Amino acid sequence: MQTRDNFNITHSIFLLLGGIALLFIFAPLAGMFVSVNAPHLFEAATDKVVGSSIVRTLLISAAATIISALFAIPLAYILARKKFPFKGVVEAIVDLPIVIPHSAAGIAILGLISRDSALGAAASAVGLNLVGSPFAIGLAMSFVSIPFLINSARDGFAAVPVRLEQAAETLGASKFQTFTKISLPLAGRSVVSGLLLMFARGMSEFGAIVIVAYHPMTTPVLIFDRFNSFGLAYARPVAVIFVAVTLILFIGLRIYQKRKW
Amino acid sequence: MVKLNNILYKADDFTLGPVSLELETGGYFAVFGPSGSGKSMLLEIIAGLRTPAAGEIIIDNSDYTLVPARKRPVGMLFQDYALFPNMSVFENIAFPLRISGENEEVIKRDVGLLAEQFSIQTLLKRRINALSGGEKQRVALARALAHQPSVLLLDEPLSALDEELRDDAVKTLGILKKDGQTVIHVTHNRNEVSDLATRCFRMSAGKLAPID
Repeated sequence: MQTRDNFNITHSIFLLLGGIALLFIFAPLAGMFVSVNAPHLFEAATDKVVGSSIVRTLLISAAATIISALFAIPLAYILARKKFPFKGVVEAIVDLPIVIPHSAAGIAILGLISRDSALGAAASAVGLNLVGSPFAIGLAMSFVSIPFLINSARDGFAAVPVRLEQAAETLGASKFQTFTKISLPLAGRSVVSGLLLMFARGMSEFGAIVIVAYHPMTTPVLIFDRFNSFGLAYARPVAVIFVAVTLILFIGLRIYQKRKW
Repeated sequence: MVKLNNILYKADDFTLGPVSLELETGGYFAVFGPSGSGKSMLLEIIAGLRTPAAGEIIIDNSDYTLVPARKRPVGMLFQDYALFPNMSVFENIAFPLRISGENEEVIKRDVGLLAEQFSIQTLLKRRINALSGGEKQRVALARALAHQPSVLLLDEPLSALDEELRDDAVKTLGILKKDGQTVIHVTHNRNEVSDLATRCFRMSAGKLAPID
């Protein structure tokens, strides 16, 4: 028989263990904020290189997320609704970017866009060098973050009852109308969560980007560059500003998401 | 008129049919049978949600056997009503009208008439999750009739309702009979439509037989 005491002890232990997990996430970030040198922080905040790297990082990640969504959302729907041979293999491929080292992902993308490749050669023929371009950064961001969108959207679509889609069809809706008017709105919360996760993961990417495009610098690469060239005291203010900007942005987006969905 | 000619459908370990029957326009047809006997499957075949392995589905003298669900003159009331939770009651009923490209004036007029017919005028602005079981049934019926189907399929329409709501719900179904709507009503409970049905059938292990 379960007693009130047992219930409380279990939950107290969970609270303690959960608190440690929370502290593990929060403490290093809080430490970074409290130990930042104020003049250095001011200097970084007014540094045009820092500002432009943050804008670049946010814009490229947003563009990469929106463009990837055109391909990721249909794939997520197919994975949620259809049975087909080797579906497990397809799902494993979707998860690959999560499990492989991101430096290896960078090497793979470099192979795709270098001048030796068909894509790189085609771009070179019209005078474009893809390596070291915003395109390369976007590609690296998309590669490492697209599984978050596909998986979240797939779970959202899977949770929409098939009955509702069938009902829409008996009421005259085509498959596409059923998708846009029923499936997508009902999976909206998961799809938007996936978009936010992908956006967030993309802009925090370092390992793959540093291989395909050291310049122009995204903020994670700039933090690494400042640390390598000038040390912790100069890298920390940039990190603090970037974390603060992303935190404000994501709290705002989450509030918007909760109100709308 | 609904005519099924030797309809055969095979699922993994279940075979429905061959089923043949002819239902005259304006009749209220009841199909009884235990769970798993293939009643709902038969409705889904007529609605176009399942494609039979053999046979023909003729509605109003046209062959609809291979026509997709969206192009069939069929309305369906699902067991759980399948109302769209992302829309209001008005938008649910207006859904088939919007899909078929009707203008706003026609939509407002038709939704208003259906709401009056099923006494749901006061519910039109409500969200689906704010409705009772009986209200959901009436909204789902209004929606299924909005595109004026030749035949209305009812899949266990009373099973989700509490006992005290069933009498009212049966009265609502009586409206359909009075209006001359062709109805196929499947249920596991024979008593539920004994006053409504003009002809009855029994379904057992995928086979359909008339009941006198």
